[in-house]
Amino acid sequence: MVSPDRFDGELLALLPRLRRFAHTLSRNPADADDLTQATIERALRSRTHWQVGTRLDSWTYRIMRNLWIDTARARTRREKVEAPEEEAELHAVRVDNGMDAAVDLSRMMAAMERLPDEQREVVALILIEGFGYREAAEMLGLPIGTVSSRLVRGRTALLDMVGA
Amino acid sequence: MVSDEQFFAWLDGELEPAEAARVAAEVGANAELTLRAEQHRALQRQLKAPFDRLAQAAIPDRLREAVEADANVVEFPSPKTARTWLTLPQWGAMAATLAVGIVTGTMLSPRQTSPVIVAGGKMYAGAALGGALDTQLASAPGGDVRIGLTFRDPSHAICRTFTDATASGLACRQGKQWQLRGLFGAPEGQSGHYRMAAGMDPNLAALVGSTMTGEPLDAAQEKAARDSGWR
Repeated sequence: MVSPDRFDGELLALLPRLRRFAHTLSRNPADADDLTQATIERALRSRTHWQVGTRLDSWTYRIMRNLWIDTARARTRREKVEAPEEEAELHAVRVDNGMDAAVDLSRMMAAMERLPDEQREVVALILIEGFGYREAAEMLGLPIGTVSSRLVRGRTALLDMVGA
Repeated sequence: MVSDEQFFAWLDGELEPAEAARVAAEVGANAELTLRAEQHRALQRQLKAPFDRLAQAAIPDRLREAVEADANVVEFPSPKTARTWLTLPQWGAMAATLAVGIVTGTMLSPRQTSPVIVAGGKMYAGAALGGALDTQLASAPGGDVRIGLTFRDPSHAICRTFTDATASGLACRQGKQWQLRGLFGAPEGQSGHYRMAAGMDPNLAALVGSTMTGEPLDAAQEKAARDSGWR
């Protein structure tokens, strides 16, 4: 049994990274913080399933990714019925070359949002969170070749979008 | 010929050295690939920067509180010292830098002074534990902490194992402090005294095995090392 102090402390230390990952997955900052909070709550409830000696970050990222998939699916279903144009509006957010950090962030979030989910999670884990291919493959439960080819497609699409 | 997968695996540092060298040579000899590599490096920088800035920004209170609501059992000796003593967010860093086992809750119990302080992402012995590590000899146990083995690590630093009622661990001398290399809690329902009788925690024993160079110091060497300030 892990001491609550230590588990909570490590989780707190992970918060900046968890929040960053949530922003790479989510379509806006409010959704990202909701996702982070839901992840914290689930991680605290499931703490007995975490094994000491294994990486807490991978474990928590997996929780976040699963929650995100659940909510993204639910949202997609809902939006298909209710508001098909909402996403199109978000994607249409065009911002001048921003000096402002918030502007840069929303621009990159909008670009990430346009990637298919399976490419977005791979791009987020490897290019932004800095995990290796193998670590990302293990986290996502995918063969490494699949991760590699999704990464190729995702970053190529991003380059077309943001034109580095 | 370089495939897309190979090209990007090279760009991401995922290839074995020999293959990486081959791809690097091909990219270097091909203006189109060289440009593509530069574009994708720039893309990654541009993509990552705003998210990294976000990760450096203050955490919204509600997220912090979501964790802290769970952690409010921890108290510190006084608000004044809490800043320099172990504060919760710092615990995470130790997983990355240390081989750490289970830390039992009582190690941080408000009844006693924290045995551990954290600075610069590393964990050090607090005053009481540090004092024991500084002065106690294995042959002369005193107070709550009992010293086990004393030996040197590959960098020639002195390392000492210790046990108290709730945990055992390994600390090595770094400057004037004792840096914790590992801290292992007693299994539930099993006190440290029982464990001492049963021998060293297997996790600690493994850590000692991988840290120690040469033989443990004998009683005379241990005393001499103490008297010369653990250098």
